[in-house]
Amino acid sequence: MPLIWLAFIVLAVATLGYVMGWRRALSTVGGDARHLHSLPSYYGWNVFLKVVVPAFGLMIAWVLIQPLLIDRSVVQLIPETEVSEGSNIGLVMSEVRRTAQGITAAVAQGDMAPDMATDANADAAEVAQVLKDAGQIVTSDLSPAIVQGAQRYVELSSFGNLLMSIAVLAVGLLAMAWAVRESTPVFRARNVVEQGIKALLIAAASIAILTTIGIILSLVFNTIEFFRLYPAGDFFFLLEWAPSFSGRGGASSLGVLPLLWGTVYISIVALLVAVPIGLFSAIYLSEYASPRVRAIAKPLLEVLAGIPTIVYGLFALLTVGPLLVSVFGDGGLLGVSWQGGGRAVITAGLVMGIMLIPFVSSLSDDIINAVPQAMRDGSYGLGATQSETIKQVVLPAALPGIVGAILLAASRAIGETMIVVLGAGAAARLSLNPFEAMTTVTAKIVSQLTGDSDFASPEALVAFALGMTLFLLTLGLNVFALYIVRKYREQYD
Amino acid sequence: MYDAPHMTESHVTAAADVKIAARNVQVYYGDNHAIKDVNVDIQDKTVTAFIGPSGCGKSTFLRCLNRMNDTIDVARIEGDIRIDGQDIYDKAVDPVQLRAKVGMVFQKPNPFPKSIYDNVAYGPRIHGLARNKAELDEIVERSLRRGAIWDEVKDRLNAPGTGLSGGQQQRLCIARAVATEPEILLMDEPCSALDPIATGQIEELIDELRRNYALVIVTHSMQQAARVSQKTAYFHLGNLVEYGDTTKIFTNPEDTRTENYITGRIG
Ligand SMILES: Nc1ncnc2c1ncn2[C@@H]1O[C@H](COP(=O)(O)OP(=O)(O)OP(=O)(O)O)[C@@H](O)[C@H]1O
Ligand SMILES: [Mg+2]
Repeated sequence: MPLIWLAFIVLAVATLGYVMGWRRALSTVGGDARHLHSLPSYYGWNVFLKVVVPAFGLMIAWVLIQPLLIDRSVVQLIPETEVSEGSNIGLVMSEVRRTAQGITAAVAQGDMAPDMATDANADAAEVAQVLKDAGQIVTSDLSPAIVQGAQRYVELSSFGNLLMSIAVLAVGLLAMAWAVRESTPVFRARNVVEQGIKALLIAAASIAILTTIGIILSLVFNTIEFFRLYPAGDFFFLLEWAPSFSGRGGASSLGVLPLLWGTVYISIVALLVAVPIGLFSAIYLSEYASPRVRAIAKPLLEVLAGIPTIVYGLFALLTVGPLLVSVFGDGGLLGVSWQGGGRAVITAGLVMGIMLIPFVSSLSDDIINAVPQAMRDGSYGLGATQSETIKQVVLPAALPGIVGAILLAASRAIGETMIVVLGAGAAARLSLNPFEAMTTVTAKIVSQLTGDSDFASPEALVAFALGMTLFLLTLGLNVFALYIVRKYREQYD
Repeated sequence: MYDAPHMTESHVTAAADVKIAARNVQVYYGDNHAIKDVNVDIQDKTVTAFIGPSGCGKSTFLRCLNRMNDTIDVARIEGDIRIDGQDIYDKAVDPVQLRAKVGMVFQKPNPFPKSIYDNVAYGPRIHGLARNKAELDEIVERSLRRGAIWDEVKDRLNAPGTGLSGGQQQRLCIARAVATEPEILLMDEPCSALDPIATGQIEELIDELRRNYALVIVTHSMQQAARVSQKTAYFHLGNLVEYGDTTKIFTNPEDTRTENYITGRIG
């Protein structure tokens, strides 16, 4: 039985339980809800929760644990000799799983007879041929051991699934019976539901936190793997980024510094553009603009935030780059020849800055608006002008929020990829000249993982180390932001 | 006005004593007619009390006197308000200058998110009242003393003003307002959160300021109005019902609405 059906049945049972809990609670007091501890619907929800939580809990645990157990039992069927040179048992097992999936799908489509799927004596070549004809696998050279393993896998999982359906339904029904019996006038269903809601919220929060931890762990493990293949000292201190892909041979230089510098440099240029413009437009919009102007200008500015970054990238490549070259380039307006090509730090930084303006302005505007009018009144009442009031009262009061907005913009800038690829180029370089092409960490992560890279090579694994570096960078930024906010916070509330 | 020969001596002195003259003042908040046709002459070197039930427009009228209603988009003011004979709603008048001259203590204490010292020094700094740090220190100390809060804060002048208690904040705001040495001080319920001792000190301050300034004070306490003011204005539903000497209003009011209010039958 597919999982989704099982889930629906559990929900149906729970709904039935809801009605029964409600009915039973009412009937015990002869239909007069005033004699119940809680409103009748709380008795219903009590039953509902008590069915859904254990049943789904069991289901999730089962789905997570069953593959592990089956793997462990199937692995014993695979002889040592199956694991070829340069491979490992994990790769073989994933092939087994793939084949097992193929068999399941082929049976479901009717391309394979059900008994063939589980017949341990079936000819491996024949099974493979049927699978290939069914379009489930590409090559038909499956070894007998793998086919047998896959068959065992299919058998075990279908048995496991059956067992799970029975267990889940049994748990659901038992829970329902128990919870319905519980629905007596003195039972505090309302408090139980309150607990249930709290548990639900905690579960949501834990999922968010656990996923974050999972992502970080995956980053960490892969980074460790990378450092096992490539010296950490070189990664951190080498001033050169020159990966060599396996085809071309030769050793790679994977120094992070040029990329980090490119990231920081482009982000700084972007913030230099975005922060003053964004902040000033926020001040204008929130303090000076009439409601009519504000109603038109604010959404217009926010449209900027809705433009996909690839469009900004095109804008950088096709418009801003050439424009800058015509000013700073050879034979340009200024008569200098600083800029060689359109792709440069300044191009990407400028365009990225434009992209960030709405972030800074929209957030700052909200924050400035949140400063109480009484604060402004106090200042005006002492004979201060509008700009004195803004500078000395409104902005200091809004500072923590504004710093937060700027740091948010900075994280966006650091994480931005498309504008860099199209606007700043792909050359990793350590230079102070803003008119030169440079590249960033994110752009290099993309280029390391696209193409036919081997995921076990240091050239691909470096992407994780780069990702980790980025993560630590933005984490540091956030911690710094918190520190700033804390430091100034005490003055405001 | 001295060239008006038909004026008698007494007329001239009476006119010279008038600090604020309001004629036919109307205030609208959108469609809400909050102040209806108010005429009043507020005397210099006098404490004038505004009393009346909640929502009758006392704060609104007070805010007209230093153009604080300019900051409210929906507020519209009609009529004529003159301070020292100058129409304050005239185009030539800079509201910023006006507010430096007509100080205000708000109904709700609103200290800035700055230190206690900076709160009080705010006005003197923007108006350049102190030539050096020592002078500024002196202004701050004198103002805090007048605000009856010096003893409580003298050891923590660098602590944030927002960290004070409600009553302390109220006195801080009074100190902040007197630090700029305004000619007129408008106080909107300045003692609403104060204990009797602090109230007594603020009332002493009001009495002291009266020697040089014109004061307008909104209060819900009849006793306070009777104690500190020489003139009382009774507002009711946006109308100025009765205005006159405090002793007369409290002993022999002309209007029954005033009488009902001060004897506690309405409001
Ligand atoms: N900012 C505003 N926007 C719209 N209406 C306002 C505003 N401020 C005051 N009002 C209205 O104007 C009327 C008078 O209000 P005001 O604050 O002047 O009363 P008050 O006499 O000071 O009352 P209280 O003694 O409670 O302070 C009320 O009806 C109020 O709803
Ligand atoms: Mg008021």
